[in-house]
Amino acid sequence: MKRHLTGAIAAGLTVALGVSGCGKGSSSGGDDSDGKTIKFVAAIYDDNTKPFWDALIKDFEAKNSGYKVNLEMVDWTQMDAKVKTYVQTKQVPDILNYNSFSDFARDGLLYKASEVVSPGTLSDFTPTFVEQAKYNGEQYTLPFISSARLMFYNKDLFKKAGIADPPKTWADIKTDAQKVKKAGAIGYGLPLGPEEAQAEFFSWAMNDNGGWVDASGKWAINQPANVDTLNFLKDLNKSGLTQPNPESTDRKTVFNQFAQGKVGMAIGGPFTKAGFITPANPNLNFGVTSLPVKNASSQPNTLGVMDVLDAFKKNGGKNKEAVRKFLDFFYQKENVSRFLSKEGFLPTTKSAGDALSSDPYMKQFVDALPTSKFAPTSNPAWSAVAGAVKQSLGTSVADKDPKKVLDDIQQTAQKAG
Amino acid sequence: MQHVAVKRGAGHPPAPRPSLLGRIGRALVPLLWLGPSIVLIAVVVLWPVIEMVRTSLLKFTSSGTSLGFHGTGDFTDLFAESDLVPVLLRTLVWVVGIVIVTMVLSLALGQLLNARFPGRRAVRWAIIVPWAASVLMTALIWRWMLDNYSGLINRVLLDLHVIDKPVNWLAHPHQAMVWMMAVAVFVSLPFTSFVILAGLQTIPADVYEAARVDGAGPLRTYFGITLPLLRPAVLIASIINVINVFNSFPIIWAMTGGGPAHATDTTTTYMYKLAFNDQHIGESGAMAVVNFLLVLVMVLVYLRAARWREEVR
Repeated sequence: MKRHLTGAIAAGLTVALGVSGCGKGSSSGGDDSDGKTIKFVAAIYDDNTKPFWDALIKDFEAKNSGYKVNLEMVDWTQMDAKVKTYVQTKQVPDILNYNSFSDFARDGLLYKASEVVSPGTLSDFTPTFVEQAKYNGEQYTLPFISSARLMFYNKDLFKKAGIADPPKTWADIKTDAQKVKKAGAIGYGLPLGPEEAQAEFFSWAMNDNGGWVDASGKWAINQPANVDTLNFLKDLNKSGLTQPNPESTDRKTVFNQFAQGKVGMAIGGPFTKAGFITPANPNLNFGVTSLPVKNASSQPNTLGVMDVLDAFKKNGGKNKEAVRKFLDFFYQKENVSRFLSKEGFLPTTKSAGDALSSDPYMKQFVDALPTSKFAPTSNPAWSAVAGAVKQSLGTSVADKDPKKVLDDIQQTAQKAG
Repeated sequence: MQHVAVKRGAGHPPAPRPSLLGRIGRALVPLLWLGPSIVLIAVVVLWPVIEMVRTSLLKFTSSGTSLGFHGTGDFTDLFAESDLVPVLLRTLVWVVGIVIVTMVLSLALGQLLNARFPGRRAVRWAIIVPWAASVLMTALIWRWMLDNYSGLINRVLLDLHVIDKPVNWLAHPHQAMVWMMAVAVFVSLPFTSFVILAGLQTIPADVYEAARVDGAGPLRTYFGITLPLLRPAVLIASIINVINVFNSFPIIWAMTGGGPAHATDTTTTYMYKLAFNDQHIGESGAMAVVNFLLVLVMVLVYLRAARWREEVR
């Protein structure tokens, strides 16, 4: 028995070595040899997403006879694993709704933006987002939706604590948090758990002139401003002004607590109202203000986030025509604004921008967009850096030394490229 | 022709040598029955193993594109990770701790289930429940019971004045490990106690009768007769548990995600994080191979133990 098993393993290893030599190009994953059928993998933002795409695709197929779009909906929690599998098994979709593109562009998997949309669509993108869609100076992806971050505060708790104005500076945050704590609630909700530690951290660091890269675009994760930022957040935690254990608290927990009126302040986005506050506590009396700055004289920045549509090269370019037809169809003004208003995101095109500004809540975020700073998603190493940040950054405000944690992430970043 | 040869060869022992074709045909006949399971094993077991080993020997970019053969580079990277040794040690504690506690509790539970008492059937069914429920679901329920803000366990302990403010159980690595191991024991108990129960039922009653006649007390009977005769059941149960617990992903993933940082990771969750957080597919493949080898060692131990059992009998 034992000998058989060992034999089988030996045989397996031999075959494995043989296969690895000639395993390339085995499957191109195309059932669509005519190039008129394309596969579109879309992310599930909420319950409205699938009905939107179903209707849009039906409309598209009716107006472009012979063309067909196969839709696959993937949850964000599954997305990274799915995408890796697609690429690794050479079964990429024609269009992918995702949050990164640069490593695909580096590996030569993507069309340039100019190849898959008409010049009219291409010139409609807001320049801020076009900058984020470039790899080595060329636009490789299509900005899809965007989002921004602002400081949310609970007006009732502020009144109870005797605070007149919304916080403007880091010092305000600390004193206000102390007052809110005295009034019996959590001062500041700090989510540094694995869900989105990189977004929370960057929202603070950018307002202390910190960030991920230096002026020349090199990784500068352990720069003094970032250490300073973490020390400030650590002090908030150690002074008992945050919820317990920021290192393992995710954004959704903080916002559920905020919606229940148990947290004084927290950083949120356009989705926070529809996603957390309205379902749990529609009467919550909250305000939204700019992100706090370290130095009272500096201008507040906001964190910009952008999701994209990646168009993959397939079957020697045969899918290009169908992809272009579908993307141009989607980027029509009324389709884009319908998606944005349903999902609570901000526009990436000029034409869809006006539609949202009529809502006073959304307008605050639209107005903040010009000051937005982005994570360096155009650097192919970013996804590895973000992964390291999500896993370990939170420990710096608990028991680890902030400088040491940032040094380790810096090392990861340099190793990744 | 072929048919005849087979018939003659089978029917009359001192028959003339069958033809070559006949012999091949006869050798292939068992394949008809074995074939499907061989194909199944090849596709479901061997192929993934081959893919896994292949992955660990290739160099991948962060997007998942293969850049070709990488030699042992992925393994060098893996062994250079400063988190690897703590994760391995934690995995050892995780496996040994859970299996020992499970076995001890199951020996008691098996004894209980074997005893005659009113409502035994209900108790037997009750013990099966955690087995029937999905592990992920059980883990999620426990995670919410242990929640800092709205968890049932904090509520009960607060009401009983055991603690004076809510404890964020899953945020502290040591507490989190203890709770997760408790959950793992909880889901391992049904299978294990039923194996023990089955073992108990194979012990003939006359052995006990003989012991009673010889004047052995309950303790002496248990350690002198029950436990030695349960050896095969205990052996099988503990080895299957070792493999299951080692590979257990959903409990840790649902309850702490292996965090903060890597403080509650075992090799199984660490392997996942290497691929999907650190974007090192090759290195994750190398971790998978190491995991596979560790499991393989355990299987070999099992096989040796199984032979040892034959010798004893």
